[in-house]
Amino acid sequence: MDHFLPKRFFNCLARSTSTVLLSLSLFLPQLSNAAVPQKHEDFPQGVSAINPGSELWREVRRRDGSGEFNEVNQGLLVNELLHEIRKGQQMPQGTSQVDQVDGGVLINAQGKRWALFRMTTLADYSAIAIAVIFVIITLFFVIRGKVPIEGGLSGNVVKRFSDYERVVHWTLAIVFLFLAISGLILLLGRPLLIPLFGKDLFALLASASKEGHNLFGPLFLVSLIMMLISFGRRNIYEKGDLTWLLKGGGLIGKGHVSGGFFNMGEKTWYWMVILIGLVISISGLVLVSPNFGQSRLIMEFTHIVHVVSGMILIVVSIGHMYLGSIGSEGALEGMKSGYVDIKWADAHHDRWGKHCHEQDLIVSAEEYARLQGQTGNISEPATEQGK
Amino acid sequence: MIEYLIDGPLWYLSLVVFCVGVVWQLGSIIFASRKTDLSVARDSASSGAVKTVFSRFLPHKEIAPRIRMQVAAGYMFHLGLFALLFFAAPHVLFLEQHLLGFGWTPMPHWAFIVSAQFAFLGLIMLWLRRMVNPVSRLISTFDDHVAAILTFIVMLTGCFALLEGSTALRLLHRFTVELWLIYFPFSALMHTFTFVPSRAFTGAWFGRRGIDA
Repeated sequence: MDHFLPKRFFNCLARSTSTVLLSLSLFLPQLSNAAVPQKHEDFPQGVSAINPGSELWREVRRRDGSGEFNEVNQGLLVNELLHEIRKGQQMPQGTSQVDQVDGGVLINAQGKRWALFRMTTLADYSAIAIAVIFVIITLFFVIRGKVPIEGGLSGNVVKRFSDYERVVHWTLAIVFLFLAISGLILLLGRPLLIPLFGKDLFALLASASKEGHNLFGPLFLVSLIMMLISFGRRNIYEKGDLTWLLKGGGLIGKGHVSGGFFNMGEKTWYWMVILIGLVISISGLVLVSPNFGQSRLIMEFTHIVHVVSGMILIVVSIGHMYLGSIGSEGALEGMKSGYVDIKWADAHHDRWGKHCHEQDLIVSAEEYARLQGQTGNISEPATEQGK
Repeated sequence: MIEYLIDGPLWYLSLVVFCVGVVWQLGSIIFASRKTDLSVARDSASSGAVKTVFSRFLPHKEIAPRIRMQVAAGYMFHLGLFALLFFAAPHVLFLEQHLLGFGWTPMPHWAFIVSAQFAFLGLIMLWLRRMVNPVSRLISTFDDHVAAILTFIVMLTGCFALLEGSTALRLLHRFTVELWLIYFPFSALMHTFTFVPSRAFTGAWFGRRGIDA
C-alpha cells in the first residue's frame, strides 16, 4: 500500500504527459497554421441561438423613438400629454394596436419615480443597513467577545443534525449567499463598483449577476421547501420560549437561558427564513416571469417588496453567521460534523441536553474520533432523529 | 489576442487532448492484461454483464432508504447536465456549425433553464454530501473535489453567458470548457465513459460465478 500511491501517481503523471505530448504532435499542423497570420473569424466562435431575454432587449434597443410625427398637427396634443404627465401622478391611457398590459400607456411617469426610488432611497438605505449590522457585530464582538462555555468544552459529544439536514442547510446557505451577492451587485453596483472597476467591467459583472440571480432564484425556493420539511416540526414554538426571549437569549447579562432542541432565537430566525424567503421567492418569480399579464405598476411594487425583504434576510443572516461561528463557542460544530459538545448542549439547549443525558445519547471523545474516520471501525450511534 | 487564443489554438488543443486522452485511457483499461479464469462457469458471464449494467441504475433495496438523497441528487445532476450539454439550443447550434455539421431539435428555452437548475441543485447537494459525510469525505480524493468544482465553474460561466450579449462572458465560458476538456481524461470525470465497462466487468465476473448481486 505504501508503494501503491506513488506508483499510481507516477503512472498517471507519465500517462498525462504522454497524452499531452502526443496531442501536441497531432496539433502541430494547427499550431503551424496558427503561426501564420490567420483571421480570428476562421476559428469556431459563438453561435447565435435565440434567447427570449436578449431578443427582447435587442428589440427595445432598436426603438429610436422617432416614429411618424407631425409636429404641427400633433404638437398641441403632445404638449398637453406631457403637461398632464408632469403635473399629475396619473398615466394617461390611450389606445394601441399592441394588445398587451399597459400597451396604451405612452409614458409611465410612475416608472421614473420607481427608478429614482430604487437608485437612491432603496440603494442608500440598503447600504446603510449592511454597514450598520457590521458595526453592531464588530462592537458586540469587541465588548462581549466569543460567548464561552463555562469550564470549556468536554470533548464528549451528542449528535445534533443528520447528514441530510446539514446538506439541506448548506445548500440553502450556498444558494442564498450567491443570490445575496449577485443581488447586491445589481442593487449597489452602480454607485459602489463603477468607480472601482469602470463601466465596461461592471456591465459584464451586472449581466453575469442578473443571469445568475435569475437562474439560481428558483433553487432558493426548492431549498426553502426542503428546509421546511426537514426542520419545521422541531421549530414549532413551545412553553418556555418566551422566557428565552425576555432574557435576551443570554446575550444580555450573564449566564445561559433555558432552551429546547431549538431555542426561541433559532426558531424565530427559522420562521423568518421560511416566511420572508417565501415572499422573496414569490416576488422573484413575478419579476422573472413578466409574461403573465402583470402590469408595470405591479412589477415595480413587487421589485420593492423583493429588495426590502431580501435586505432584511441579508442583514439578519449576517447576525446568524456571526452567532453560528465566531460569536459562540462550539456552535459551528453542529453544522460542520453534525455533533455538538454535550456541555454546549447543556449550556444553550439545557432541556435537550437533559434529554440526551437521560437517553444515553452521549458519544465519548474517542468514539467521536473514530466516527470522524481517524481510526478504527465506523459505526453509527443511536440518535433521537432516527436518520 | 486572448480571443484568438481561446477560440483557436486552445480550443483545438483541448479537443485533441480530450479525444486522445479518452481513447488512451479506455484502451489501456480494455487491453490491460488479465489472468485467465480457469474455473468452470456456473452461469453466463454475458447475461451477468448486461444485467449489472442496468441493475446498478437503481440502488439495492437494503441501502435505498439511507441513500435516497444521493440517488435523487445524482439523477438530477447527471440528467440535467446531459440535457444541457446535448439539447441546449446554443450547444446544439455550436455542435452543428463548428464540429459535427449536423444538428437536432433543441429544447425550448424554459426546459434549458430548468435542466440547468436541476444540474446545479444536484451538483451542489452531491458535493455537500461528500463533504459532510465522514466516510465519503475519507474516500474522496483531491481529484474528486477538483472535478466537481471545475464542472460547477463550467456550468456557472455558462449561466453567466446566458444573455449571449457579451463576447467576454462567452470567452470565459469557452475557456473553462477548454480547461475541463483537458482535465477530463486524467480525472474522475472519466467515469462518464468507464461506468458501463466497469459495471459490465463486475457483472460478468459475478455472472460467471453465479453470484446474484
